[in-house]
Amino acid sequence: MRAFAEWLYGTAPSVAIHSTLWLIRLLQATHLLTAGVAIASGLMIALRALGWQRADEPFDAVWRRFAPWLTGSLAVMVATGIAQTIGDPVREFTATSYWVKLTLLSGCVLGTLLLARTARRATADFSFAAKLVAFALIVCWLALPPLGRMIGYDLAIWGGLSLRE
Amino acid sequence: MSVESVLTSIQSSAVAEWMRDTNPAMQIVESMHVLAAVLVLGTVLIADLRLLGLADSRRAFSRVGTETLRLTWVAFGLAVVTGSLMFTTSAHTYFANTAFQLKALALLAAGLNMALFQLLTARGIAAWDVGKLPRAARVAGLLSLLLWAAVVLLGRWIGFTKGYDFTIPPGVELGFPTP
Repeated sequence: MRAFAEWLYGTAPSVAIHSTLWLIRLLQATHLLTAGVAIASGLMIALRALGWQRADEPFDAVWRRFAPWLTGSLAVMVATGIAQTIGDPVREFTATSYWVKLTLLSGCVLGTLLLARTARRATADFSFAAKLVAFALIVCWLALPPLGRMIGYDLAIWGGLSLRE
Repeated sequence: MSVESVLTSIQSSAVAEWMRDTNPAMQIVESMHVLAAVLVLGTVLIADLRLLGLADSRRAFSRVGTETLRLTWVAFGLAVVTGSLMFTTSAHTYFANTAFQLKALALLAAGLNMALFQLLTARGIAAWDVGKLPRAARVAGLLSLLLWAAVVLLGRWIGFTKGYDFTIPPGVELGFPTP
C-alpha cells in the first residue's frame, strides 16, 4: 500500500494538487462545508426513522426533503476527498483513521439506502431492527468528522494500531 | 488587568497545562471541535434554507426552527467548550492570529443577527409562519448562512496560519511549517 501511495504521489495529478497550496485549502474547505450538509441531512433521515425528528411527517416526505441535499453534498464531499487523497496519498493511505472513516462512510450510505427501502415496503412504523440501523447510522455519521481530523494525528490516536511508522 | 496578563493567566492555567501535556487530549478535543462545527453549520443550514424559502416551504418556520435549533444549541455548546479548551493551550498566539480575530467577529455578527431576528422579525411570526416570508426574515437567513459558513472556514484557516506555542508530540502532522 505504501509503495502504491508513493508511486501515486509522483504522478502528474498528485504533483499538480500537492504543489498548489490554494487548491489544497480550497479542497479542504469545500470538503468541510459539504460534510456539514451531508451529515445534517443523513442525521435528519436517521432521526426521523427513530421518530426523534419530524415524527408528524411521513418518512417518505422527510426522505424527499433531505435525500437530494444528502446526494449532492455527498458527491462533492467524496470528489474533494478523492482529490485530497490523490494530492497526499502517503498521509491518507497510511492512516488507520482514513480507512475507518471510509468504512463508516460506506456503512452510512448503505444503511441510509436500506432505511429508505425498508420505509417503502413498510406499511406501519419502523421495525426494531430498522430503528437499530438508524441508531447505528447516527453514531457513524457523527464519527466521520472527528475521524477526518484524526488522520493528521494517527500515531497519537491509534498508537500501535496506526498504519503509520 | 491588561489583556496580556489575562492571556498569560489562561495559558498558564492548570487546564492549559493539562491540555498541552496530556497526549492525545489536544487531538481529541480538536476532533470534537470539528464535529461540533460541522453540526452547527449543517443544522443552521436547515433553518436558514427555510427562511430563504428554498426548502420546507410548506412546513411552519416555528416548527422547523424548534426542531433543528435544539441540535444546533447542543453542537454550539460542544464547540464553545472544545474551542475554549483549545484556546487555553496557546492563548497569546490565537489572540494575535488574524483568522481567529475574524472568526470571533463572524461569531459575534452571527449572534447579533440571531438576536435581531428573535427580537424584531420573529415577533410577527404568526403572520408569515407558513406563508410568504418577509424580506427581513430572508435577509436574516442569508446572513446567517454566510456568517456560519465563514465561522467554519475561518476556523479551518486558523489551522493553516497559527502554529503552536508548545512542542509538537511525535507522530503528529499539523499541516503547516513548525519551528
